[in-house]
Amino acid sequence: MSKAASLPYVVTPQIPNARLADALGAVAAQFGATLGQTKSDVNLDVPADRLRDLVRTLKERSAFQFDYLRNMAGVDFGEEGMAIKYQLYSFRHGHTLQITVPLPPHNHPHASVPSLVEFYGAADWHEREAAEMFGIHFEGHPNLKNLLLEEDLHIHPLLKAHPLQKAEIKQGIEDGPAGFNF
Amino acid sequence: MSEVLNPFGSEIFGIWNWLDAIIRVVIMVTVMTVVVMYLIYGERKIVARFQQRLGPTRTGPAGLLQSFADALKLVGKEDLRPKRADRWVFEFAPFATFVPVFITLSILPFAQDWGVRNLPLGLFFMISALGLEIVGVMMAGLGSGNKFALLGAVRAAAQMISYEIPLVLSLLAVVMIAGTLDLNQMALQQDRYPYVILQPLAFLIFFTAMLSELHRAPFDIPVAESEIVGGYFVEYSGIRWSMFMLSEYAAMWGFSIFGAVVFLGGWQFPMGEDWGWGWQLALTMGKSLAFIFVMLWVRATVPRLRIDQLMSFCWKVLLPMSLVQILANGFILVYGGPYWLLTLTSSLGAAVLVAIIMRQAFRRSSTKTLVGAYRTQLQVPAP
Amino acid sequence: MTVWPDQLAPTEAEFDTVDMTINIGPQHPATHGVFRMVLTVDGELVVDCEPYIGYLHRGLEKLTETADYRQAMGWWDRTDYLAGMCCEFAYCDTVERLAGFEVPDRAQYIRVIMAELSRINSHFMFLGAFGADVGSFGTSFIYGWRERERIYDLFEEVAGDRMFPTYIKVGGVTMDLPENFESRCRWLIASIKQGIEDLDGLLTGNEIFVERCRGLSPMSTEEAIGLGITGPVLRATGIPWDLRKAEPYGIYSQLNFDIPTGRNGDVFDRYFVRLSEMYQSVRIIEQCLAEMPKSGLVLNPDLPKTLRITDAEVYVRHEGTKGEYGVFGMAKGGTNAYRMKLRSPSFCNLSALRRMVVGSYVADAVIILGSLDIVLGEVDK
Repeated sequence: MSKAASLPYVVTPQIPNARLADALGAVAAQFGATLGQTKSDVNLDVPADRLRDLVRTLKERSAFQFDYLRNMAGVDFGEEGMAIKYQLYSFRHGHTLQITVPLPPHNHPHASVPSLVEFYGAADWHEREAAEMFGIHFEGHPNLKNLLLEEDLHIHPLLKAHPLQKAEIKQGIEDGPAGFNF
Repeated sequence: MSEVLNPFGSEIFGIWNWLDAIIRVVIMVTVMTVVVMYLIYGERKIVARFQQRLGPTRTGPAGLLQSFADALKLVGKEDLRPKRADRWVFEFAPFATFVPVFITLSILPFAQDWGVRNLPLGLFFMISALGLEIVGVMMAGLGSGNKFALLGAVRAAAQMISYEIPLVLSLLAVVMIAGTLDLNQMALQQDRYPYVILQPLAFLIFFTAMLSELHRAPFDIPVAESEIVGGYFVEYSGIRWSMFMLSEYAAMWGFSIFGAVVFLGGWQFPMGEDWGWGWQLALTMGKSLAFIFVMLWVRATVPRLRIDQLMSFCWKVLLPMSLVQILANGFILVYGGPYWLLTLTSSLGAAVLVAIIMRQAFRRSSTKTLVGAYRTQLQVPAP
Repeated sequence: MTVWPDQLAPTEAEFDTVDMTINIGPQHPATHGVFRMVLTVDGELVVDCEPYIGYLHRGLEKLTETADYRQAMGWWDRTDYLAGMCCEFAYCDTVERLAGFEVPDRAQYIRVIMAELSRINSHFMFLGAFGADVGSFGTSFIYGWRERERIYDLFEEVAGDRMFPTYIKVGGVTMDLPENFESRCRWLIASIKQGIEDLDGLLTGNEIFVERCRGLSPMSTEEAIGLGITGPVLRATGIPWDLRKAEPYGIYSQLNFDIPTGRNGDVFDRYFVRLSEMYQSVRIIEQCLAEMPKSGLVLNPDLPKTLRITDAEVYVRHEGTKGEYGVFGMAKGGTNAYRMKLRSPSFCNLSALRRMVVGSYVADAVIILGSLDIVLGEVDK
């Protein structure tokens, strides 16, 4: 934790997204990210290989201090690839930022993102969940076991290709390939 | 010599004597079973009232037959034994807990000279027999092949062995005054005032240690429902489980009668010997039921202690206080002090004990200020 | 017989002791559902803790993608099943903000009343179950249950169902309140206050309870934030961070209430923050009853019959009963949500369990788990 973080926390009212976007402009340029806007937050599209540096900057620079990973959501776009959405929050400044990391489709060799566990302890279970639900590999995660699904069940249900019903799920069978047929 | 050989005349080996003992034991077992059933019923009813419920109402008038129905169900249940259990240890553990409890019941005086047998060393026998209960508990815990049971048994062993010391010492303080270990004699001596008046400190220590020996709240750590789900008898079912229940409640009853005889004057105080055995029996039962009611009251309202808090309470508070009690008694009795001095010193000791417990309560006043601080900070309407 | 030194009894250091693993759950009175944790214990001391979740996983997010926006409602109030209305509120808010619908004024107040009643309901459940965890033989449980029954009765009168009313609806609420609602609700509030005081007296007034909870697993604000802890557990560390104030939604910005905080972040503070929060919820309900428009629409009349939402994404965060109840919603045309991700507070709070439990006693591990107030429907989705 930086020195500023040891000061007592003062919860400030939410800073308008426009001001945050202004402040983020330089950072976005530095990391090859593009600024955008969702219906609720500022969005920052960043490639996977720059994610770790970006997050470190956002966490440590006193103008941002994003010290809380509030949410992490994977999204599958089918053939177009996948994406991971991180929502970061700064307790000191009271603003929220969404980071979008585009990813290649499932089963692509480069479908991996650096893990954020070293910055946020909260990322542990979020990443485990995304890993089992989407088959995304998180580099540097200490323990990428299944969390919600059974340990020997290697399916990725939240992929759009995964059927809702009537999947023949082979589970716990040692010989055959684990996974599903459809 | 001829008396020993004569099978009818001998005091110890005579057939009539044996027959008499067997009949008394059979009556005792029957009475005990019925009493235990109604204790369970009573507990369910009383705790239900504490919790704004009704308790059993369906079986029989006001649910009076509920315990019989439960007993029938328990007898009919399958007697399960885990595969990893040590067979003989597992199966004999219920008996090993039940037998010591029962033999303590066999020496208690329910009224003047009413009981299976009256022993001159009754109090000593009672304490020794109760000390054996731990064997059954350990057998159950180790034989079940279950980790919860093991934890419960080890907790029970630590707790029962620790609390036996203050228990025995507090009883010793009374024995110093009574000068006898015969329970009937002790009751006889309490015709003017019960020993609780002379020895309030010993009584407090006895009651606390009794709760602990019986695994009642707030000392129900070995059987903690929310942590180790029943402790040492977690693997038992059916009739063997009901044996554990039987011995638990029988021990509760036995201890209550024991406490009533030793501290509250038993069948003697306040009516004396002239009122006949009916009143004496009612008196003993009434006093023991008062004990049991307080136990249920405590159980319904008080949470559980942690094992280290329990142990430090025993070794750092109860044990020194009981030693102080014995020392004070010794000085007063050796130098022939009056009895009111016993009352005075013991009351002072009791006050100190309460103060030690309430030392937390002084801290509780800080809790109150903490709570109060929260309340003012929040502008919450104080209740 | 001479005893040689090597025949002396071994000292404690020479004993070969092994750690033991205990499996707590998925069926255990302390886990409040189907949660399982494997404790490695050295005697009574917890050396390691491995939580296992997923026994109640129903594929909520996948199911939501397959159903119409309004049909999917029914799955969402089953996440935090102790406070169904709060979940419905968050889900409907997500859909409304994706599509840009307005909600009538009266419906806003009704939503807040229902959400706060749900919060009180959930906290009563916590107080009762927590008392049982600490070991008070169900008395606190029944005390809490008494008030919960009354709240559920009111829910049934209003919405027709008790636990999962599906009352809050996209664009408003399903139906208007019954005529005698205000008097019923005021009676209920009085009863709730009495119930809080009863539990306060039973638990806070008990020395053993306080002694068990005070100073147990204290936590600093920085650590809690890093671990993603929110809600009463975070506020117990001393930071007044409540999304109803920090990022107000609905009509919470117009309401006057305080945020209770603790000091040390220990188990007692968590308990007490929840207890104090209930008074604040009562305050909110009283204000809503006073300020609510006495009549008017409760459902936006401009809603289309079939909801089709074009490309949009939103992250809606509500203060659920356990913390930040966030819903990430994504629409890409069509009648179904493209992606709905639930950020459940219990899930994130539970992920910090290992950090809290290691180094405590087995008996305390149960209390710490209880103090997190998890709901497995929300953890497992």
